[in-house]
Amino acid sequence: MSFTHLHVSTAFSAHYGVSWPEELAQAAASDGATALACTDRDGLYGTIKHLKACLAAGIDPIVGVDLAVLDDDGDHRTHVAGRVVVLARGHNNGAGYRALCRLISDAHARTTGKSGGTVPVAVTRAELASRTIDPQTLKPVLTVLIGPDSDVGRAMGGRRYLRPRTLFKQWLDDLPQGTVVAEIVSQLSAPGKPLSTAHAVRMLKLAEEHHVPAILTNAVRYWAADGAPTADVLDSARTLKSLPELADEPLLQPTGQGWLKSSSEMLRLGKEIISAAGYGAADLKQLMTQTEALADLCRIDPATDMGWKQPVVPEASVIGISQDPHQELIQRCQAGISRRFPGVSGAARENMLSRLDHELAIISNLGFSSYFLTVAEVSRMIQEMGVRAAARGSGASSLVNYLIDVSQVNPLQHDLIFERFLSRDRATLPDIDIDVESAERHNVYRRIFKRFGAERVTLMSMQNGYRARGAVRDAGMALGMDDGEVGEIAKQLWRFSARKFREALQEKPELREFAGRVEQRDLDGNQQLDLLVDLTERLDRLPRHISMHPCGVILGDATLLDRSPVQPSGLGLPMSQFDKHDMDPMGMLKLDVLGVRMQSAMAFAVREVIRIHPSKKDVVAAGKHSSGQDGNGPDYIAENGHIDLNAVPLDDETTFELIRSTHTLGCFQIESPGQRELIGKMAPREFNDLIIDISLFRPGPMKSDMVRPFLEHRHGFAPEVYPHPDLKPVLAETHGVTVFHEQILRTFDVMTGCGLARADEFRRALGNEALETEVEVFFRKAARDKGYTPEVVDNVWGTLKAFGSFGFCKAHGAAFAVPTYQSAWLKAHHPEAFLAGLWEHDPGMYPKRLLVAEARRLGIPILPLDINRSKAEYRVERIEKGKDAGKLGIRLSLNGIYGLSATELKRIVAGQPYDSLADLRARSRASKPSIKRLAQLGAFDSLHREAGGTANRADLVHHLQKLQLSSSGRKGVEVLEGQLSLPLGDVELRNVKPGLPAPTLVENVRAELDLMAVDVSSHLMDSHRPMLDRLGVITADKLLGLRNGTEVLVAGVRVATQTPPMRGGRRVVFISIDDGTGCIDSVFFHEAQEKAGMLLFGTRLLLIRGTTRRTGPRGISLSASMAWDLGRTETLPFKDSSPQEPEARHPLDGISRSLSITGFSG
Amino acid sequence: MGMFSQSVDVVCSAEGQPQSLLWAGDSYTVCAEPVRWYERRQWWAEESRAPLGSGPGVVDHEIWRVQVLPSHTPRGVPEPDEPLTLDLTRHIRSGRWRLLRIHDALRPRTA
Repeated sequence: MSFTHLHVSTAFSAHYGVSWPEELAQAAASDGATALACTDRDGLYGTIKHLKACLAAGIDPIVGVDLAVLDDDGDHRTHVAGRVVVLARGHNNGAGYRALCRLISDAHARTTGKSGGTVPVAVTRAELASRTIDPQTLKPVLTVLIGPDSDVGRAMGGRRYLRPRTLFKQWLDDLPQGTVVAEIVSQLSAPGKPLSTAHAVRMLKLAEEHHVPAILTNAVRYWAADGAPTADVLDSARTLKSLPELADEPLLQPTGQGWLKSSSEMLRLGKEIISAAGYGAADLKQLMTQTEALADLCRIDPATDMGWKQPVVPEASVIGISQDPHQELIQRCQAGISRRFPGVSGAARENMLSRLDHELAIISNLGFSSYFLTVAEVSRMIQEMGVRAAARGSGASSLVNYLIDVSQVNPLQHDLIFERFLSRDRATLPDIDIDVESAERHNVYRRIFKRFGAERVTLMSMQNGYRARGAVRDAGMALGMDDGEVGEIAKQLWRFSARKFREALQEKPELREFAGRVEQRDLDGNQQLDLLVDLTERLDRLPRHISMHPCGVILGDATLLDRSPVQPSGLGLPMSQFDKHDMDPMGMLKLDVLGVRMQSAMAFAVREVIRIHPSKKDVVAAGKHSSGQDGNGPDYIAENGHIDLNAVPLDDETTFELIRSTHTLGCFQIESPGQRELIGKMAPREFNDLIIDISLFRPGPMKSDMVRPFLEHRHGFAPEVYPHPDLKPVLAETHGVTVFHEQILRTFDVMTGCGLARADEFRRALGNEALETEVEVFFRKAARDKGYTPEVVDNVWGTLKAFGSFGFCKAHGAAFAVPTYQSAWLKAHHPEAFLAGLWEHDPGMYPKRLLVAEARRLGIPILPLDINRSKAEYRVERIEKGKDAGKLGIRLSLNGIYGLSATELKRIVAGQPYDSLADLRARSRASKPSIKRLAQLGAFDSLHREAGGTANRADLVHHLQKLQLSSSGRKGVEVLEGQLSLPLGDVELRNVKPGLPAPTLVENVRAELDLMAVDVSSHLMDSHRPMLDRLGVITADKLLGLRNGTEVLVAGVRVATQTPPMRGGRRVVFISIDDGTGCIDSVFFHEAQEKAGMLLFGTRLLLIRGTTRRTGPRGISLSASMAWDLGRTETLPFKDSSPQEPEARHPLDGISRSLSITGFSG
Repeated sequence: MGMFSQSVDVVCSAEGQPQSLLWAGDSYTVCAEPVRWYERRQWWAEESRAPLGSGPGVVDHEIWRVQVLPSHTPRGVPEPDEPLTLDLTRHIRSGRWRLLRIHDALRPRTA
């Protein structure tokens, strides 16, 4: 007889379970089991994966949860009495599953969704009791397992001998008849300990005494005994205590026996318990039979119980439709034609209409009309809110989406194929993603909840798994290692999976020092580092916690909360326990509403343009826009100066000039070092070039060397080659190189006549070993039948095979290219407003301080912090006097100053302007430390100047410091109270005692870096300049004038660190540094990595030696051969005769805000 | 009770239960149903490696508590009244047995 495990935690029981659902299901099936339960702690986090795994293994799924129950006797609802397992009964049209979902949502309802909450995830016994019976049929639909971790089981070890019986009787009194079973578990710990056979015997006897069925489980945490040490480490991570501490308490699992034991092992375990209880063979048989009987009761039918693979969309009435949804969709598309294609006629009209019919037929066939209407409704709602939004992804391939205003890309114009998005052969709901302004995303979510009703909407969650750094930290904590030591090791772990830690020790130069210490263990007897490596590998990828997915919103009908448990998210809105992998199996409609900072930055820039240039005429003059047909400027600028970015024509020459210059810092998608290099080589001339550029800059094409031949053909260095003239129309736009998914589809279609829908299925099969062979057989035969020669067939198949699995969907590229173009357009025409938007919303990959450098390069003045002029956001300001008079500058924002609270900020801005420090104190109530920091940043300099007096900034800071120290609430120190009403200017400022030397530039820059993470007064490299000059270091602005292959020294602050995937699999490290004149991109190949070692990821200021590589007419980068840490002057390569530099204080000394300064948290 | 870690040879039944043992040159017979359980090890202090795939026996080890009587009464020594209670452990990977503790021992033969 086979045994069914009814109490099993998967890895999705965060910080508890060890094994993946697939491992568990396979192990159960190969032992001959016919069913397996998944009872994760606190939720159904692993349930859908469990269903999938069980279906694949050919066994029946059983679903349940391991849930804490509150102590009825506790005063507050915070005391947990114990945990029980609750199983859903199956084959009752989902009544059991529904009750389970609702019960779990109950358990989370009182929690806050924020970390560190005091309310536990738990239910009351009354809630549990009420969910066990179906409200309609009044039949039991849940079964509650009272086991070793319940209040009954926990009382076994106590002194009060009768306590377990009292507690057990309470359960029987409180829960409906037939919903309770006793769970017998022995993990063979020492007699009398928790999970011992002795305790199992007592539980068995309690069940016997009260005529309650007893069942046997093994309270499984790992599929094989090998998982036990991992479970120990997870216990440590969960409780935040080291293993030695836990062992003392004792809080660790008493033994390592909690694995998915085989049927025969479980039978033997049953025998041992029964014989220890003094029972006989009949009792053993009863225990095993009852276990199987409960298993049978709980077998789940995925389709009828859980709605497996059945798409559910909101009811038609909710989206305001009274007629057949498909009729509605047809009517809306027709209405869209005149708007999207005004005046279309003739062949173009025929072509468009036949495409529309084609799409509508497929949509109708799949029954997805309501889905499209739902997405259109959401899209309409967002636009009504006045929020910038753009559809992305393959949804842009659909003419229907274009006509109903979901997408802004005309698929006919860009040759996009509907089948790439949806076809007869794909029955799953397609993804439509909508990008919105990041700053508005949460408002959009709230509106969706309001519009569709809280019962139909929930946020999607995501699982966060262990990566190398987190894993090494938690493994180190488990071993009781020193925090600092583990932190140092964690710092060096960069972009590899924890599972390959030991392998990485051999290969990665930055880990060489650590690897040496691991090998040293035999000498100094320290075995901990070796264990650390093993335990880190064990934690790899295990889920740590769930969080709100950055964009997924689930939309359903009124039954949504019967199909997914929900819990509060940090945002306050409910979040499903299911992640993106669970959507398709559960037929859930997921909408990706993605917050894109660039959209916010652009919206901000457009508003700044209006504020500074409040009329069309001003905007046209400031942006040097063409005067248009009527001489009044282009149509996309409104009379009030508002620019409709979506209406800007995509052929602006100034914009393309900017792009070709590679000065694209801040532009969407094309600002990374790699992209700037590619753009320099490619020199885009038109919008389609941008689509191609974005599509080429992907791991696949970069890895497989598609870029070089493309560029050679494009620039005419090599003739374009087509495998066959028939393919020329398909491949011409990319000069014969296959770049887009769309081209793969057409190639299949042209050469085999298979149709585009099948072609997309073929494309999906590429790269899948099993399926690819079938595709190859079909392709070869069909292409030969159409008369293509074996050479052509071979050649084309080679291309399909190589590029098919990772080419790029052109619809994605087109959707991305729009904001790319728009951001470049803004940078070209309104750079001040654009940079202000970038600073405000920080959309890019670089630290903010690099954009300061960019402003400096563009000659845009950066205006210092000023208590009366700076606001809560960055602002463009016209400069009134001085050498820059008449120019536009950017005024620094009060937001983002270290230590200045949001309320202080609000009050300061509300109270502006201030005529004195006393006025500021009285009305803004800013704290003394904040006022001192503002003084350090020079925010009072102009006020100070107006007040007269001879003191400087240092004197003022000193004065404020004194006040701060002497003032603990004593009266009398606030000497200047009362001067408020006198229009005398600031007596306090005027009377600040002079005497200190004025702060040096270095000191000012230091304060800026420390408090704002930007260097405004001067570039932070400037103080190094004399030393760099003596070393012969060259600056970024001079680099372009050098010949290819010149050996140079460069120096700067790290601004970007990337390890993109490369051809041949060997790691290449890109490090970009900024030296104040621009950005230098350097590439470290294998040998240079070996030489640079720990400097690769551990240093902020770098001196790099390398040779120049010309990448294009306007692009140059560096191939590095060696690097040094500029902070350690003694290591620098001075000539022997050169004297060492005297120790100079550098602005970065002692400042630890590495991430915000260098964009790197190493 | 004394704490020991001495090597012993154990003969087991088909089910894996100890039946008799050879300890310091003398042979003993198990005279009552043995009790078995598992005990934790301080593996993080005792092991230098615990890679994935280590298998069982890292976290715990098996303990058998047996009651034994000498198989052959040595000459000149009177028959003991009480059986000896011993805790044995079997190393999972090597299969070797060690004597961990002697209970109720009036006079342990070795220290």
